Amino acid sequence: MQRIIGVLALLAIMYGMLYAVNPKAFNHSNQQDVLSQQAFYGILTLGIGVVIITGGIDLSMGSVIGFAGMLFGALVKNGMGPIAAMLIVLLAGILIGLIHGLFITQMRLQPFLVTLCGMFIYRGLARIIGNGSTIGLETLAKTNPSSQKQLDWLRQILVGKDIEGNLNFPSQLIVLLIVFAVLGLVLHFSIYGRYWYAIGHNELAARYAGIQTKRQKISVYIICSFLSALGGILSMCYYGSANPENTGVTLELYAITGAVLGGCSLRGGEGTVIGMVLGGAVLPLLKNLINFSASKEWVRNLIPNMDAVIPVIIGLTLLLGTLIDETLRRRSQTRKE
Amino acid sequence: MNLSRIIQAALTGILSLIISFGVISCNSSENKGKEERVQVAVVTNNPEEFWSIAEVGAKKAGSDFNVDVIFRKPEKGDVAVQMDIVNTVVQTGVSGVAISVISPADQTTDLKQIAKKANLITMDNDAPNSERICYVGTDNYLAGKAVGKLVKEVIPEGGDIAIFVGQITPDNAKQRFQGVVDELADQKDAKGPQYGKYKLYRGEAITDGANPEEAQIQAGNALEALKDQPSIAMVGLWAYNTPAILEAARAKKLTGKVKIVGFDEYTQTLNGIEAGDVYATVVQDPYNFGYKSVEILAAEARGDKSKRAKTAVPHRIITKTGIDPETKKKDRLTVKEFQDNVNKLLGK
Repeated sequence: MQRIIGVLALLAIMYGMLYAVNPKAFNHSNQQDVLSQQAFYGILTLGIGVVIITGGIDLSMGSVIGFAGMLFGALVKNGMGPIAAMLIVLLAGILIGLIHGLFITQMRLQPFLVTLCGMFIYRGLARIIGNGSTIGLETLAKTNPSSQKQLDWLRQILVGKDIEGNLNFPSQLIVLLIVFAVLGLVLHFSIYGRYWYAIGHNELAARYAGIQTKRQKISVYIICSFLSALGGILSMCYYGSANPENTGVTLELYAITGAVLGGCSLRGGEGTVIGMVLGGAVLPLLKNLINFSASKEWVRNLIPNMDAVIPVIIGLTLLLGTLIDETLRRRSQTRKE
Repeated sequence: MNLSRIIQAALTGILSLIISFGVISCNSSENKGKEERVQVAVVTNNPEEFWSIAEVGAKKAGSDFNVDVIFRKPEKGDVAVQMDIVNTVVQTGVSGVAISVISPADQTTDLKQIAKKANLITMDNDAPNSERICYVGTDNYLAGKAVGKLVKEVIPEGGDIAIFVGQITPDNAKQRFQGVVDELADQKDAKGPQYGKYKLYRGEAITDGANPEEAQIQAGNALEALKDQPSIAMVGLWAYNTPAILEAARAKKLTGKVKIVGFDEYTQTLNGIEAGDVYATVVQDPYNFGYKSVEILAAEARGDKSKRAKTAVPHRIITKTGIDPETKKKDRLTVKEFQDNVNKLLGK
């Protein structure tokens, strides 16, 4: 609970700063943009969060996102219907997770290494599919005109953008709510969730207690890669294009940071779905805060090259957030003792 | 000092910052209204050095036309990163925005939305169907033809060429590439891999995903494949491609043998021209990209449509001598002349 309060406080501070910097940031349109991105990051954070709870890690998320976006584009470009293409991409995500899980459990390879290799492989596959080129929805509609209707429908349903690109509603929030509800039920109200926490706390003890740890670990990697593949489709629908070099790059790190901010311990065994969603909401808000700050002349005079400073600000804020969170956690533990 | 005290100090710092933000925001609000100052934004396609000159031009126009200029250089050439910035600057209430479009075909729909909320112009790389007011930039096809002509000058007997670019999807890359090969083939819409007396390595432009390190690796690979050929020319279509080719040629001790022609005015490119390792570069005019974009957006904000760009911003050629060997005319720039010109613009 303390950790959720910590991340809530961080979000409240940032919303306060956003209002102070420019009240226009609270207009309907900007808040829709921010909510869309928060939902997108939330979905990814939930994916990595369940892996982290079991004491694992998945560094391939960003590359899977890029690969999924490119695969979706390539399938539609070659005449497949967008909904069928989406199902194949999601299946590919499940397959990737299964492969990761099998390597980690059957071959006893380190999750860090397996997913690091995956990071390179899926980025390479994205490049092979794209042949160095961006694939976009507008191009797809031209090369496969029969896909237009389904693409428009998918875009409307998944991200809330209409045929003209208007963001009418941050539909990714609905997707997030569904993922949140399902994972919340599994993690906090089912036996499987207890297994995952037990594995994260002490895998050996969990195995001795009769838990089929291998099967459980495979399942969390499948969930993570499935959500990454979903993320690739969402990104394609939201931004209208996927690029083999850039789509998804560093998103795995942002998702891990979101999960840690939201209360997941990299040692495993800790974390809640609400915390993950709140942790995932920090970075998009921070980016928005920085962008709105850059609209003020005095801020630009203070920090002349704002874009170069952005990574530093993001890093320092997340570090500060993590420090605050860790302090609150220790205090809470001390009180319990 | 224990950790919790550090955290308390940090929290106090954050609270102070919030108060400062609030106070300064209020003060700046009070100062508004004394003069009719408009706010516009310029969003580039990457953070490369090229855009620093455009930024100077944009800021000069800002002071000339009483405009507050938000100049943003996204951390990478990624549509998602660029559109997040564009959407946010438009939300802040700028009257207009100039964008160097990364992927015109795929950004057009979203740019149409931007055009509904603010005056939109494209610069450097166009998206003609985006309902933008006008395009400020080089005629990339003509600039590509100029590069093709330079290749013909430096290896008139023909030979192998390799062409490098970050991505081939942006219109500027496509147009430059077509300009180069059309000039080499002496025909419009030429198809390769043989273009007249010139054979294109790999039959297509070699892309690197806007990654200079990757560009250098690609150039090294191409040099390795072509080094035994009698005459080789390498062309860099984006600013960092020429230094990448030069660096790779130096690493393989092939400078002199491989003839390099490029785009834009990176320091390494200019030094390479002076050293005789790069034959020539075709330069755009980023200063005027920035200046004209802001001038047009300021005029549009005040209801004046007369400033809209009607012609392309001309390109220029830099060679070691500044003389066209065919016409013997001094119609090109030397590195020194070009640098003096830039320094003058930058007030150095």
